[in-house]
Parts: sequence; structure tokens; C-alpha cells
Amino acid sequence: MIENIKVLIGIIMAAVLVNNYVLSQFLGICPFLGVSKKLDQATGMSVAVIFVMVLATAVTYPIQYFLLNPKGMGYLQTVVFILVIAALVQLLEIVLKKYIPALHASLGVYLPLITTNCAVLAVCISNVDNYMTATSFGGTFVQALVNALGSGLGFLLAMVMFAGVRSQVERCNCPESFKGMPITLISAAIVSVSFMGFAGVVDNLLG
Amino acid sequence: MTKTKSNNVVSDFVAPIVVLTAICLVMTLLLAVTNQITSPIIDETARKRAEAARTQVMPEADGFELLSVEGLPETITEVYQATNGVGYVFMITSSGYGGKNTLNMICGIDSTGLITSASVLSHKETPGLGSKITGSNFAGQFPGKDALLDGVDTISGATFSSNYFIAAIQDAFAAYDMVKEG
Amino acid sequence: MKKSKFSILTNGIIKENPILVLVLGTCPFLAVTTQASNAIGMGAAVTFVLLCSNIIVSLLRKIIPDKVRIPCYIVVIASFVTLVQMIVKAFLPELDTSLGLFLPLIVVNCIILGRAEMFASKNGIVDSALDAIGMGIGYTLAMLVMASVREIVGNGTWYGIEIPVLVDNNILIMTMAPGGFAMFGILIAIVNKLSHGKAIKKKEFGCEGCPSAAACGQAGCTQKEAAVK
Repeated sequence: MIENIKVLIGIIMAAVLVNNYVLSQFLGICPFLGVSKKLDQATGMSVAVIFVMVLATAVTYPIQYFLLNPKGMGYLQTVVFILVIAALVQLLEIVLKKYIPALHASLGVYLPLITTNCAVLAVCISNVDNYMTATSFGGTFVQALVNALGSGLGFLLAMVMFAGVRSQVERCNCPESFKGMPITLISAAIVSVSFMGFAGVVDNLLG
Repeated sequence: MTKTKSNNVVSDFVAPIVVLTAICLVMTLLLAVTNQITSPIIDETARKRAEAARTQVMPEADGFELLSVEGLPETITEVYQATNGVGYVFMITSSGYGGKNTLNMICGIDSTGLITSASVLSHKETPGLGSKITGSNFAGQFPGKDALLDGVDTISGATFSSNYFIAAIQDAFAAYDMVKEG
Repeated sequence: MKKSKFSILTNGIIKENPILVLVLGTCPFLAVTTQASNAIGMGAAVTFVLLCSNIIVSLLRKIIPDKVRIPCYIVVIASFVTLVQMIVKAFLPELDTSLGLFLPLIVVNCIILGRAEMFASKNGIVDSALDAIGMGIGYTLAMLVMASVREIVGNGTWYGIEIPVLVDNNILIMTMAPGGFAMFGILIAIVNKLSHGKAIKKKEFGCEGCPSAAACGQAGCTQKEAAVK
């Protein structure tokens, strides 16, 4: 039991720190650069991403295991996953609007953007690639869900950190050609340097 | 009046569903056909690549045969026996500095218990430091060594990566003892 | 405002370069540009998908009902991406290994959905095909420039060929994540400088400045813009 929990903590820490989706894997760069201007927007977007990542994994992983793989239709993975994610996001928006309007008011505007967020599709595909085995479903499914959660949390961490950095950068004077996008990208480079230091941390801490 | 209404139903509900379904069907058909054509080629390519990797670590072998052994160390994913009996090839997936199950290696051990070759197939070690384990300076030490791995030096600045590599080789030897006896 | 065929083709290469001017499809642009060969492979894959999806979307533009156009486009794009995946796996396994996850992720590359929505759904087949080729070439060229710099400086090689002196004095960080971000920033700054700030000076990232805003999340972008205001 303790061993299992250790594995799960390891997965979360690896996803948040070592293999951070934004800063070391270059996934979800568009929202990272687009919605990180204000802290509240960055948080709202990230929470929505966490939500959709876990939900999308919860739906696509069984689809792959029970539907696509036994029928030898693994090649339809990309098509099926993107359609499922798109439908899921729409559905989630409708449900939130109807039943939890307060949450919809804060997250609703970000939900449609998530369909084309590559991090969500990436987490579904890489969960299937990394965790799925032919023999067992339950244990790997939990690991996949935890990985989805961790990836989402990593996205949140990167977004919140970067929103803070950015609010300072905006006030600075920099060469005319670097104003706007270029200086934002260079600050992102420096933030991602700090995440390189986490390589190897997880295994040596919990291993 | 009735006519406009039915038109609305058609254009609002029926047409979108029909068109979307039709597009899905046609595209899926296209993919199914392509899959029929490419999947044997993909399997063949993957098999050839794996075969080439095995031949590279054990050039004397004339062919390989997959063994199924119970109770192998969990890092050893596959064991192959050379059909002419010159040795065994082990496929290893172990933890590296870059995370769990990120270090993929191949190791050949001949029938006298000496390494023929050991190399990294894919890894996520730190570029420039840990990644040196793929270089001939490090991996080149292993051919000819027995299970004791006498005189193998770790890379300074990449001790962890070196140790992961060595641990993987030791797992291969553990598996070697099992397949040799059995 | 009828554009000539030639200007449609060159539009994507220079004036509306998808990467350097429109800033679309940044994820694969940063991730796979560690080697020139990867850049060419990725560029070719994107161009192929763009060309096919533009042609099909343009062909079906009168048939597809407005309501379901986005799902239709997504199905078409996803299918062609899968097609490319299978072809690459079968004939170019090395490229498949080095592009990895970013091959299926072409599906969510905004360039492709953006062009389907902005151009192909409003124009004829020939124009759409030319637009796709232009955009594809523009994307590939930008990737190649970025990848060349990163490979030469970071690895001391170009297209796998070792460059003397540099190969022993490589700056490894250029091939890693920070190098990607920094190099992209510098590239855009150079474009800014050369065009005297006309190209992208005040344009914002993401949805506020995204030309495919109408396409990406249906009403999402406009809603968000309203919310921001």
C-alpha cells in the first residue's frame, strides 16, 4: 500500500517538476503565452485545464482499452481522442452552465479554448503510451489519472509562476524590437532554466 | 407554414448529422484502407529494426529466438537466444536519471558469460552530462567484461546515470543466470 | 479585392508567415527544432496535412452546414494526421521516433484549423491549395532557420554533418527547452527589427491576437475578449 502511494506521489512530482508540460516538454505553449498576463486569468485557465485533463483521461483511457485495442483499431486513436475531447468540453460547458453557474462564470470562458490545447490531447495519448498494459486495467488506470492530475498541476504551477514574472517584465524598459513577444519568450527561457534543476530529483528522493 | 417548419427541421438537425456522419464514415474508410496497406509494413519495419539492433550487439549470431522465462527481473523486457547458441540478448527498460522506465538498453552476453556489447537505445538523461553514457568512452568499457564488471569507471559529473547503466547490466546478468540454468 | 494566384502563394511565406508573423503552432515549433532534419520532416508533415485538409474543406464548403463545421474540419484534419502517422511509421521510422508525440499533435496545430476556417471555407480549391502550399513552405522555412541555428550552436552539427571547431565547443543549452524559448524570442525580435516593427510590434499572443480566434473555440475567444475588457 505504502509502496503504491509512493509510486503515485512519484508520478505527480515527476509530472509537475521534472517533465513539466509547458517548460520542459513544450506543450500548451499557446495558452501559456496567451493567458498568462493576469494572475486570475492564469489560475482560471489552469484550473479548467486540470479539470479537462483528468476528465479526458478518465474517458479516453477506457475507450482505448476496451474499445480500440481489442478490435485492433488503435490507428483511430487520434481521431477518436480529439472528437471525444471536443465533445467532452462542450458537454462540460453545458453542464456547468446549467447546474453550477458560479463555476461556469469563472471557468466557462476558458473551456472552449481547451479543445485546441495540445496539452490535453498529449496527456491522453502519452498516458495510453506509457501506462497501458494488455493485462491489467485498474492499477494503470489510477496511475494514468494521477499523471493527468500531475500534468495539470504542472501547468498551473508554470502559469502562475510565469504570470508573476510577466507582471514585472511588463514594467521594464527593453529595446524596442524586443518589446512584447520576444521579451516574454526570453523570460520564459529563464523560467524554464530553473525547472531544469529538478531533473533526477524524484527518483532519488523517493527511490 | 408546415413546409418551412419541416425545412427548418431538416436544415437544423438532419443535415448537420447526416453530413458529419458521412464525413466520419468516408474518412474512417480511408484510414481503414491505409491501415490495411501500412500495418504489415510497419510491423516489418519494427521487426527489422529490432533484429538489426540485436545483430549489432551480437554479430556472430545467425538469428534470434524469443524466450519466455518466468520470474525475470522486472527491468528485463525481452530475452533472445541466438539460434546458433553463441549467447543471449537482453532488452532492458530501467529507470534513469530522467525518470522511471526512461532508459532503454540492449545488452548481449555470450555463452561464456562475457558481455559482447551493451548500448543505450533511448534515454532521457541530462544532455551533455548523463547522455555521455551513450558514448563509446563509457559504453565501450563493457564488451569482454564478466558479471563482476571489474574496472568499469563511472563518468565524473554523471555518476547517477553511469550507475543506472551498470545496474541495468547487472539485471541482465541476473537474467542470464536464470536462462542459462533453465 | 481579388488576389492573384502568386500573391496567395507568397502570402504565407513572407507577409503572413504562420510562425514568425502570426505566431501560430508554437508547440511543435519549439519542441522539434533541435535538428534540421526534424524540422524538414515536421514541416513536410504539416504541409501535407494542410494541403489535404484545405482541399477537402474547400471542396465541401457548400455542403458542410455551418453548425457542425468545426467538428467536420476536426474529423478531416485528424484523419489526414493519422494517415501521415501511418506513412511515417511505415517508411520513416527514425523520423517517427524523433517527432514522437508531436506527430499526432498536428491535429491541434492552430495553423491547420485556422486556415480551414479563415481561407479554405471561403475560397476555391486552387486558391486553397496554393494557400496551403504557401503556408506550409513558410512554416517549414521558419522551422528550418530555427533548427539550423539550434543545431549548429547547440550541437556543432548541421543536418548531421559535423562542423569543425563548433562540434567541440557546442553550447548544449540551445538544444534544450530554455534555448528554444530564447531563440524564438530572438528570431521574432529580428523580424521586428527588419520590418521596423510593422510586422508584429503590438500584436498580442494567444487568443487576443490569434487570427483563427473565430475557429479555435467557436465563441470562446470572443467571449473571453469580452471578459477581459
